[in-house]
Amino acid sequence: MDASRDSNALSDGGSERATAESVRTEQAARQQARSGTSSARSTTAMLLAPGTIWMLLFLVVPMLMMVYVSFWTQKTFSIEPTLTVQSWVAFFSSETYFAALLRTIKIWLIVLATTFALGYPTALFIGLFIKNKTLQTIVLVLCVVPFWTSFLIRVLAWRPMLGKEGAVNIVLEKLGLISEPIEVLLFTEFSVVVGMTQIYVVFMVGPIAFMLSRIDPSLIEAARDLGAGTWRIFRTIIFPLSLPGVVVGAIFVSVMVLGEFATSAALSGRKVNLLGNIIVTQVGSLKWAFAAVVGVILTAVMAVVIAALLRFVDLRKEL
Amino acid sequence: MTAVLELKNVTKRFGGEVALDRLSIALEANEYISLLGPSGSGKSTLLRIIAGFEKPDAGDVLLEGRSLAQVPAYRRGIGFVSQGFALFPHLSVFENVAFGLRNREDDPLRDGAALRRRVDEMLGLVGLADLGDRGTDQISGGQKQRVALARTLVADPKIILLDEPLGALDANLRTRMRVELRRIRQQLGITFVHVTGNEDEALAMGDRVAVLDRGRLAQISDPDSVYNRPESARVAKFLNCYNMFEGRCDGDGVFQTSGASLSCSPDGAGPGMYCVRFDKIKVTPAPAASQAAGTGIQATFITSEYSGPRITYFFRGPGEKVLEVEYHLSHQRPEEFSVGDEYWLSWLPDEALVYFQ
Repeated sequence: MDASRDSNALSDGGSERATAESVRTEQAARQQARSGTSSARSTTAMLLAPGTIWMLLFLVVPMLMMVYVSFWTQKTFSIEPTLTVQSWVAFFSSETYFAALLRTIKIWLIVLATTFALGYPTALFIGLFIKNKTLQTIVLVLCVVPFWTSFLIRVLAWRPMLGKEGAVNIVLEKLGLISEPIEVLLFTEFSVVVGMTQIYVVFMVGPIAFMLSRIDPSLIEAARDLGAGTWRIFRTIIFPLSLPGVVVGAIFVSVMVLGEFATSAALSGRKVNLLGNIIVTQVGSLKWAFAAVVGVILTAVMAVVIAALLRFVDLRKEL
Repeated sequence: MTAVLELKNVTKRFGGEVALDRLSIALEANEYISLLGPSGSGKSTLLRIIAGFEKPDAGDVLLEGRSLAQVPAYRRGIGFVSQGFALFPHLSVFENVAFGLRNREDDPLRDGAALRRRVDEMLGLVGLADLGDRGTDQISGGQKQRVALARTLVADPKIILLDEPLGALDANLRTRMRVELRRIRQQLGITFVHVTGNEDEALAMGDRVAVLDRGRLAQISDPDSVYNRPESARVAKFLNCYNMFEGRCDGDGVFQTSGASLSCSPDGAGPGMYCVRFDKIKVTPAPAASQAAGTGIQATFITSEYSGPRITYFFRGPGEKVLEVEYHLSHQRPEEFSVGDEYWLSWLPDEALVYFQ
């Protein structure tokens, strides 16, 4: 009732005045716009220039270059700018190389799953169950402590762990669970997955824990008050609200795992060849055109993966 | 009337702090209770204990005679509307309201058509019929409040707990929501418990007003009794409309306070608090004081505050004590007092309330 009376009063007395006012301001704005357009435009261009030039020079041009080089002709120890699809044909007709592409995708999917399976509960604990913000930070820092040692050492440390006479086998034997050492632990896809999971899980934990810690506890209370049990609350409130964190974590892990070569080199005994390993080998033997083909394929795979992940969540809205 | 909810000797401590101290209170069916208390008086804790978010250290909470001690929050059938509304940001208005029916553990509503009908009906009741598809970031503060209310009401709770429901709204909206809340409650005939730190709001909203003080129930009665006959000096203080003088009375009808002797009714003796309401005081120029009618005190005019229907004058009495006098302008025009001049503030001894310790 009050509202209608208010709005009536406004329209009776104030509407004409308000209209006149708005017309005047509009005119003024238009005049200002006319005189200011050119200078405003040049300012915008100037502000945009450094970033644009940087991205063109160091991102767009190199990428186009890579695509271009992938069509060059490969000679034994050099490449010539004569365009050919020879390297592309070589990649897709070779069973080894195409298998490497499939293996890369397979390892990536497995590592994505394991990092999520290990990372989400960890993040849930840090982000939701630890209420103290200081303690939260301390625990998150603890997750990062392994990064203080070199990447190579962290990877190689898995060898004495998983080897035939490694820690895992010794413990299992001492416990009487196995009679002879399990040999498939090391130098298999399994060891590569274990190594990558350990290294990359923290990139999953961080973003998810961040999103979880931002969930207002009163939302969970409200859901509880409305009759939902713990599992329901997790499914309908907590998980959906943490999804942007999952997507960001998945992007981190994907980009790093898809380009990986060191972990597989160190823990597979050169038996597991990923696209990254092929690039390293090809560059090592100066096969630039072929390396470029693999590079283009890898970049394309990553682009598709990231585009697909971003479909899930509007990150610009969430962060 | 029957008590729908009863608290018996409920005690709650946080660390060493006592939040609730053997509090007992009975809420009747179909009434609007406002719970008034300063911050730290335990009113939010009380609400959270009723809702089941906190467990009492001692005492019991009974809903329709049944103890709630072993009943988890999600099975209590008590609606809780939190201060910040706590709307689910990833769900639409409709989905927010449908949340409880869809996701409750006991008897969730799976029938889509029935769900839609009930949610739409509730959105209509709170005046949001057309906004079901909106996101929670596309509606105003007042509308958020209504969504939070609808979300709770749709499950037919026996009691609704409102934690400072008007605190997050601007003044204009607050007045409108007061009317709305009372209308919705009357329409549904359930008990509303409205926590507030604002005495105006408590008096305006409640069929009964419960005043909490340091974890105890200081008074529970109808708004008129709370306002006119507060049961203790502390209740009078929360109401923020009484001038209070500390002193003592020797049973002779004279209350001795620093710098003045005030008349009061002759029964009662000992140290105490003498209270007189802002709007019971009459101001006359000091020299021409006719002391025949009533008792009074001499004070210096400081300033005044105009607030539409009334004006509040501030005086400095004996011992630098600031005294307030309120005139209601529908009956009188504001008087002009000059700053720094002495005036005689007088009232009838019957109007004064004296609380002995």
